[in-house]
Amino acid sequence: MIWAQRVWLRLQTLVGRERIVQQLDQELQFHLDEQIAENVASGMSQEEARHAAMRIFGNATALKEEARDTWGWITLEQIAQDLRYALRRLRMAPAFTSATVLTLALGIGATTSIFTLVHAVLLKSLPVASPGELYRLGKQSRCCYQGGYSQEKEFSLVSYDLYKYLRDNTRGFAALAAFPAPEPLFGIRRAGAAEAAQSYPGEFVSGNYFAMFGIRAYAGRVFTDADDQPNAPPVVMMSYRLWQERYGSDPSVIGSVFNVNEEPLTVAGITPPGFFGDSLRTSPPDFFLPLNTEPYLESDADLNKVDTHWLELIGRIQAGANPASIEAEMRVELEQWLRSHWGEMSANDRERFPEQTLYLTPGGAGITGMREQYEHWLQILLMVSGFVLLIVCANVANLMLVRGMERRRQVSLSMALGAQTSRILRQPLMESILLSLFGGAAGLAIAFGCTRLILRFAFPTFAGFASVPISASPSMPVLMFAFVVSLLTGLAFGIGPAWMATRVDPIEALRGGSRSTGREGSLPRKTLVVFQAALSLVLLSASGLLTAALQKLENQDFGFEQDRRIVVDMNPRLAGYRADQLPALYRRIHDSLANIPGVSSAALCEYSPLKGGAWGGSVRVEGHPTPGPKDDNFTFWDRATAGYFEVIGNRIIRGRGISEEDTAASRKVAVINEAFARKFFRNEDPIGKHFGKDEENSKQYEVVGIAQDARYLTYDFDQPIQPFYFLSAAQDDYSQSNMGSLFMHDIVILTRPSASLSDVQVRQAMALVDPSLPIISIRPLKEQVTTQFTSQRLIARLTSLFGVLSLVLASIGLYGITAYNVGRRTSEIGVRMALGANRAAIIRLVLRGAFLLIAFGLILGLPLSLATSHVLSSQLYGLNPYDPILTGIAVAVLGAFALIATLIPALRASSISPSQALRTD
Amino acid sequence: MGKPSDLVQGTLDLLILKTISLEPKHGWAIAKRIQQISSDVLQVQQGSLYPALHRLEQKAWIKAKWAETETGRKAKFYSLTAAGRAQLEKEAANWSRLSAAIDLVVEAT
Repeated sequence: MIWAQRVWLRLQTLVGRERIVQQLDQELQFHLDEQIAENVASGMSQEEARHAAMRIFGNATALKEEARDTWGWITLEQIAQDLRYALRRLRMAPAFTSATVLTLALGIGATTSIFTLVHAVLLKSLPVASPGELYRLGKQSRCCYQGGYSQEKEFSLVSYDLYKYLRDNTRGFAALAAFPAPEPLFGIRRAGAAEAAQSYPGEFVSGNYFAMFGIRAYAGRVFTDADDQPNAPPVVMMSYRLWQERYGSDPSVIGSVFNVNEEPLTVAGITPPGFFGDSLRTSPPDFFLPLNTEPYLESDADLNKVDTHWLELIGRIQAGANPASIEAEMRVELEQWLRSHWGEMSANDRERFPEQTLYLTPGGAGITGMREQYEHWLQILLMVSGFVLLIVCANVANLMLVRGMERRRQVSLSMALGAQTSRILRQPLMESILLSLFGGAAGLAIAFGCTRLILRFAFPTFAGFASVPISASPSMPVLMFAFVVSLLTGLAFGIGPAWMATRVDPIEALRGGSRSTGREGSLPRKTLVVFQAALSLVLLSASGLLTAALQKLENQDFGFEQDRRIVVDMNPRLAGYRADQLPALYRRIHDSLANIPGVSSAALCEYSPLKGGAWGGSVRVEGHPTPGPKDDNFTFWDRATAGYFEVIGNRIIRGRGISEEDTAASRKVAVINEAFARKFFRNEDPIGKHFGKDEENSKQYEVVGIAQDARYLTYDFDQPIQPFYFLSAAQDDYSQSNMGSLFMHDIVILTRPSASLSDVQVRQAMALVDPSLPIISIRPLKEQVTTQFTSQRLIARLTSLFGVLSLVLASIGLYGITAYNVGRRTSEIGVRMALGANRAAIIRLVLRGAFLLIAFGLILGLPLSLATSHVLSSQLYGLNPYDPILTGIAVAVLGAFALIATLIPALRASSISPSQALRTD
Repeated sequence: MGKPSDLVQGTLDLLILKTISLEPKHGWAIAKRIQQISSDVLQVQQGSLYPALHRLEQKAWIKAKWAETETGRKAKFYSLTAAGRAQLEKEAANWSRLSAAIDLVVEAT
């Protein structure tokens, strides 16, 4: 406790310095007066007494100094002095100060903004109780369903049956919760309300989910294991956001009945604000439902399928439990569970049984799909913004060097008078740190705006949905980051110039400053310019590469037409439709939309191109040898109504597309794409051949046409288009199966040339079919395509922006040093001109010096930019990362800017008249 | 009165603590008291007294309060804190031990 008291006393002496000095004066005066009084009492005269007392008293000032020394704040007082001095100096140079602060703010702001995203996406834990105790199953997130009894590399998804087995047998977990990997939408409306169902993202979670995360209800209650039973009254949790935004925090929502996919559920409670579920997602769920309501809501429930693996697991381990031993325990359980299903296993599964294993990894950040998706991009952006910050440092260091030059005489005078080196070093350093802290403060504002903008562009959300749970306002770690970066920046650009400033010979003070031989200052400045040029080249070529890659992506042949196509995203399942009602519904939707004036034709499909979804599975071609367990028979597939290929503009190369002649009664047909033909019919004509989903059904579909390869998948733009086959929606057996794939999501509408079609017309036509059908979005196909490249576009634009910024900064640096050198060499130039040099010679002289620097910059920058290209190569979608043309353009742009930056001072130098030049000091 | 003997390094703290252990005193009174008790052998210079007082105050062994003297003037009175009392006991014990040891050495024949 005594140390706290001491700290407190010290702080008091620091804060109340004026008062304490005054009290010391009073105290000493009292002592003096007492001495005088005693002297008088012993018989001295007043005057004598005074003198005697003063003599005994000694040097009062020295005494005060010594007393002050005991307070131990001398260094701090000096620093305060330096601070005041630095502030005054900065105030006296407003142009320099504001330019520097602005430059720093740009650099620090850019870096902080990117760090805000890095922190939110890559570093942050879920906002739940003690995230450090959470562990999840699996090393990588995978989506969304795995069938059978074997999984590649690791068992990371489990079925409900396997979940229960693991939950009930693993002792190391305090609680183990499960939730599905897919992120479905639910159609939701308040029971009794006369509104159409609205669709919102929701999630099925196990009953112990909230207890496991340590999440309490904001209002009402969280559901528990008791609610997650097959026969329990169905309940649902609503997100705070939806409750507040859509229902105005109406307390009557809790306990009232909502229709979810047209089935009634009771709202048990509201999740707390800030809770966004188990993973960072673009649109966090607005509803949480017990796993056991899945069969109640979904017509093709997955819950009770023993070999459909679709659940992710996160658990809270017991205090003190060792995750490694839990992992070992779970591996044994997995093996036991698989063995108990030996009878149901396919030959393939049995063969792969020995390699089946699982991994437990830290789960404090939840399911990190977003992290895996954005990790590389964020690293690139962080690197790029770091480069910008370095260039900013170099620029400011350059300015500081000039300032140091201006102070040379003053410094040498101070040194001559005996000033301490450390004190002289400290003053410019204090200035630098102040500047960078101001820059950092301004940078925070820039970072906030920049982050908001990036979030808007990177994570566009549908109207009414929750937005990505990343806040642009700086959190404590972000503030700390900005502060540390500012401080380091201040030191980085300040320490060199400050040190240079002290390397002054005191004799210089006595000489005329500008006549001095000193050219020492220009070497470090030149080095900085070389460094800036090198970094600019790196950024320019990186932005060139990313922009070229983006253009290549956007301008590729997608295999379908984008103009005049509109995609309506809807989901009949959310309105409670059963499979057997679907064929009639599709017919009515088609007719209603095709009747809108201006509409040329319309067709429905499961997933339109680049929608971001697809079905996949193995196929078996009739007449081909039985494939081995390791053979790849995988292909994607889609379902569409008659005329689909014409509507989407996907060219049929051979045979025909899906047409009206394909009915439930006719033979089952399939249209394949070129990739499918190449993969499965290498040396034969596919038309008329048969294939099916398994051995017994290899006659299932007859190939009637080959469509040109078209891009459907949204995650493999750097790969060739995958094999696809398309089935006729009219030929499915809607009476028997009740599969999710029977529900069409997308309606593609082709409008007539020069006709315009409003959303209202589409909604009206849809309402004529069924007003309760939720429409998730209506947007042009073109927009659906361009949104796929949002993050690529953002990265390319940001990098270009950073590239231009660095180019401008480097040019300013080059201009600065050239102008400064020209200024110093005025008299030399005068002599040259007097001796007969012409203007061109002078311009050449100046340009030669500047371009030598640029040349050095290129020599340094080219290998650096090659290294950067190597880092980027995985993100370029097949573009050659070492493209000589792009590098050439980057060099040319740098050269052009350098020319402009040096030509201005060069021209000025060449227009000096010799007599004037010789007269300058 | 000859030149007062230099105080042994560190003993001034002990003297100050001891002097104010009975009642709070101001700087002048502390100096006087030490001089009187030691029969004018120990004279505390202002130049060392006040820095010492401030040092002890910073160490939270003594605390200061402004109060009126008998003559009605404002003066800064120093008194012991609990920590100061403990420190006094420690230093006094140290001193006894040290002086006894020195006695032994000096008086050995």
